[in-house]
Amino acid sequence: MLKMHNIRKSYRTDTIETHALRDFSLEVNEGEFVSVTGPSGSGKTTFLNIAGLLETPTGGQYLLDGQEVGNLSDRDRSRLRNEKIGFIFQGFNLIPDLNLFDNIDVPLRYRGFNAKERRRRIEKSLEQVGLSARAKHLPAQLSGGQQQRVAIARALAGEPRFLLADEPTGNLDSLMARQVMELLEFINEWGTTIVMVTHDPDLARRAQRNIQIVDGQVSDLRQSIAQPEIASA
Amino acid sequence: MIGYYISLAIRSLRGTPILSALMIAAIAVGVGASMTVLTLNYMMSQNALEHKDKVLYAVQLDSWDPNQAADTANEIPWQLTYPDAVALLRSDIPTRQVAMHRFGFTVNLDESDMRPFTANTRVTTRDFFSLFDVPFEYGGTWNKEADSAAVQSVVLSKETNEKLFGGENSVGKVVQLNGEPFTVVGVLKHWNPSPKIYDLNNNPFADSEELYIPFGLHRKYEIYSWGNTNGWTSSAPEGAEGYERFLLGEHVWIQFWVELDSAEQKEAYEQFLTGYIREQKEQGRFERPLKFALSHPSEWLVLNEVLGNDNRVLGWASLAFLLVCVVNAVALLLAKFLRKAPEAGVRRALGASRNAIFTQHLIESSCIGVLGGLLGIILALAGLTGIRALAMGQVDQIATMNWEMMLAAVGLAIFASILAGLYPAWRISRTNPSVYLKTQ
Ligand SMILES: Nc1ncnc2c1ncn2[C@@H]1O[C@H](COP(=O)(O)OP(=O)(O)OP(=O)(O)O)[C@@H](O)[C@H]1O
Ligand SMILES: [Mg+2]
Repeated sequence: MLKMHNIRKSYRTDTIETHALRDFSLEVNEGEFVSVTGPSGSGKTTFLNIAGLLETPTGGQYLLDGQEVGNLSDRDRSRLRNEKIGFIFQGFNLIPDLNLFDNIDVPLRYRGFNAKERRRRIEKSLEQVGLSARAKHLPAQLSGGQQQRVAIARALAGEPRFLLADEPTGNLDSLMARQVMELLEFINEWGTTIVMVTHDPDLARRAQRNIQIVDGQVSDLRQSIAQPEIASA
Repeated sequence: MIGYYISLAIRSLRGTPILSALMIAAIAVGVGASMTVLTLNYMMSQNALEHKDKVLYAVQLDSWDPNQAADTANEIPWQLTYPDAVALLRSDIPTRQVAMHRFGFTVNLDESDMRPFTANTRVTTRDFFSLFDVPFEYGGTWNKEADSAAVQSVVLSKETNEKLFGGENSVGKVVQLNGEPFTVVGVLKHWNPSPKIYDLNNNPFADSEELYIPFGLHRKYEIYSWGNTNGWTSSAPEGAEGYERFLLGEHVWIQFWVELDSAEQKEAYEQFLTGYIREQKEQGRFERPLKFALSHPSEWLVLNEVLGNDNRVLGWASLAFLLVCVVNAVALLLAKFLRKAPEAGVRRALGASRNAIFTQHLIESSCIGVLGGLLGIILALAGLTGIRALAMGQVDQIATMNWEMMLAAVGLAIFASILAGLYPAWRISRTNPSVYLKTQ
């Protein structure tokens, strides 16, 4: 599903060059649920952004679904992102002046689905996260946990094969965090590959595989290789 | 997708009503001001004879004061003396030629209780209508002989015919001009070119005449000019007294146009004019260096400064003002778009390409442009109404907006707002989405 080899990413400001990722290598198999942990500033978000084609690496090789994505145009990368990848953020990142229906509509619009198909998918994904009754509400009218469920619904509406979550429970209390985690596990059981960054060791342990990023690298090389027996479980 | 972007734009504009109103107002004020000025300039520089521009010429002869050049743009009097006009009319070189001036008659009908009224009249040779492409509703122009003999024929404008005969075919009917019977030979269709290119000496933006009478009537009715009459000497041929002294004197008051369809014709006519001036010099007239001018209608408009330098400067100034408004709109748009950058970041994460983000924002600024343009038209219409009120009827024809100018206004507004939106939209589409997706 995902294969990164010696990925580098450095940010250059006027004087300082930060190496967010250095010789970063990782494989994730189809259907895996991988949790990513590591100290603050170690490069977890940078890794997710590169994996999700939001940023381009400074060097190295990245194969998504067997396709080399390093040299793709912005248009192609955006299309891949739209079709294959779902994002969930710590801050939910719902568009505040769009109601839930219209928020979930956003990726489907870029996908080019017709109105009927969009409606079908929006309703289905709202149902999956248990918020069908709230379609016309604005994000601000929901609790944090509900907002994150909408964000998950939005990420799922396009039926992506790959879900990237950056501290999805970071802003939630433990009860809501557990609900969101259960939802992610449920989604994973239905076949979606998930990579989730988290600070919570309990949640990290619930994933099939945990990798730790320290200083822009996977700390234990054994972690970066997908374990087939788990992947197929 | 365009529909989606437009609905997003409307939502976004409604989301920040005050900022949106400011941006729309900035565009509208700029467009309104420049469209007011540009409309005036555009209407002023219309050439109703564009299609015949190459073959028509206004004729000027320098018969002026030997001690001082005429006070015109090319130092040749705008108009001719009567004797010169009559002499030129004898040439058979031009395909058509017109000698004419402005006059006025009191009009009434026999056995009618209609009040007599004064009508602006053009005293002209018969070719006037064909040379200037004046369309007839009924009848036509008068006979050739009426150009030199006193024939009491009259052509009515459409409006005059409506006033006198309720718009029906009045050819053959008689109207009283200054108490004398004139037979109607033709009725025009509506015709009111602006600027009035055939007569730029008397308010180029006034309405066309209400009556047209033959050129051969001068002596019979002692017709003077209602237009400009300029002279530099009171001398006149010996023995000429009274009206004859005016008619044959050295004042210029006759406008003269010719149609020369070929280069050969034009050359022959130039030779003819040269010969005529030489001949007159021998008789003691035309004491200045030999000089005449043949100007195409387009050149005639420039020469007469119908669109003056002031108007041109004003035109540029108004465009500069529009630019200032656009720059303001750029600043407002940039502020607005950057504030919405997190949303753009989310959209990028969900699959929007840079182009999609760029287009979305450009469409938002175009919506501002359309609204600003519509409001700008209203402002321009108000501005033109104000100018009409100030000028008290002098500029009614030019201080109006036609459809083309309204379309131009919306076009200008969209252009201005796209211009204003280009940079902000580009900025927002280039920003790295991940920057805006960090923890809020
Ligand atoms: N846009 C940027 N410009 C410059 N430096 C950046 C940028 N984004 C990230 N960095 C740097 O790259 C390093 C890794 O950042 P990253 O956001 O990936 O850390 P993280 O592991 O997600 O941390 P956290 O757990 O606090 O979210 C940090 O040192 C950060 O300062
Ligand atoms: Mg992070």
